[in-house]
Amino acid sequence: PVSTLAMPSYKLSEFDTRGLAEVSRQLFILSGTPYEDNRISKDQWPALKEKYGFGELPVLEVDGKQIPQSLAIARYLAKEFGFYGANAFEAAWIDALADQAKDFISDIHPYFAIAMGMVAGDTDKAKAEIALPAIKKHFDLFEKVAKDNGSNSHFVGSNFSYFDILISEFVFSIDSFLPGSFDAFPTVLAVRAKVTSIPAIKEWIEKRPKTVT
Amino acid sequence: SIMPSYKLTYFDGRARAEVARQILYLADIPFEDVRISLHDWPSLKSTTPFGQMPLLEVDGQSLPQSFAIFRYLAKQFGFSGDSPFESAWVDALADQHADYFREILPVLLTIWGFTQGDRMALVKEVATPARDKYFPLLEKIAKDNGLNGHFVGDSLTWVDLLIAEHVGSINQHLPGFLSAYPSVIKTVNKITSTPRLKEWIEKRKETTF
Repeated sequence: PVSTLAMPSYKLSEFDTRGLAEVSRQLFILSGTPYEDNRISKDQWPALKEKYGFGELPVLEVDGKQIPQSLAIARYLAKEFGFYGANAFEAAWIDALADQAKDFISDIHPYFAIAMGMVAGDTDKAKAEIALPAIKKHFDLFEKVAKDNGSNSHFVGSNFSYFDILISEFVFSIDSFLPGSFDAFPTVLAVRAKVTSIPAIKEWIEKRPKTVT
Repeated sequence: SIMPSYKLTYFDGRARAEVARQILYLADIPFEDVRISLHDWPSLKSTTPFGQMPLLEVDGQSLPQSFAIFRYLAKQFGFSGDSPFESAWVDALADQHADYFREILPVLLTIWGFTQGDRMALVKEVATPARDKYFPLLEKIAKDNGLNGHFVGDSLTWVDLLIAEHVGSINQHLPGFLSAYPSVIKTVNKITSTPRLKEWIEKRKETTF
């Protein structure tokens, strides 16, 4: 819970996409914290790029002070709002899982580049040779972690963490391209079911801008 | 309170574990520095949570993923910035560095002898563009931070150690590769002259990677 006495102003700038910024949007929503959801169009970006320290999005501004890099932002907000585990070791495991998820993005990225037409290639071949092996490799692991945690619908500890939200979003995004990909990972799907059953999140998912990723 | 036992397991090299060793040494915390040969790794792999190293064990409880290990130890021992905002910047710079490192890794793997490749072509076509994209940013960050010997804030953080270790590796194999970035070099030199770190660097075993 955040003290309303000295509530900072929050502005999250990102392209009109969910991506890794979506975790932070949902952290604001889960914590009931108002924020400006600033979506920048591709046309606006060249002129704005220099304003941002690393020349990339997303960027969070806290009372006008910038924090770049999607997971640094998510970790900062998770810490502020209490979605970072019950102790330092749990926090470290949440971080480890998030970094593993980034490795997964890196592994599956070539499939999406082809499937979205950004790069020439055979989508079916990419699905078989890139996407499905990447999903199996990383989600076997995530499934095990969720089970070892007691199949309590969380990956770490007994409360929602930013990683629960991150995976919930990943599953949604990838399922839209490859329906049924996660049928082999029921414990992972249980985490997603729990996240998306939170009324504020359910409402957000229904009303948020519909984007491909 | 009783100090936990720390055990760090990695290959016999610096690469993705060195920052953890440095944090523990800087904090004067005894730890078991386990080094696994390439030959022995395959049989050990399935016993680790993510099938990867480095692996930290704290009182026997495993923690994988290098940056999660670094951030955890840094937080325990005071190397993660002086405020939540600074910690976020340490995290952000580390992730930006990781993006660059992912690009340059194929070149390093060839230089370190793990993969075959045309070293000169890789340096020209892969390492150079990766460097030219990232190091101007780092140069500006060092300057904007006042050339105070740190990349973020005014005390030693794990991202200082991360960048200094990488620059050291580059200097080892590609001398002069970073000569266009004097503020980065100056900052790294200040970092590595931190007395206890200097001591660690001088007495550690020399490795290719």
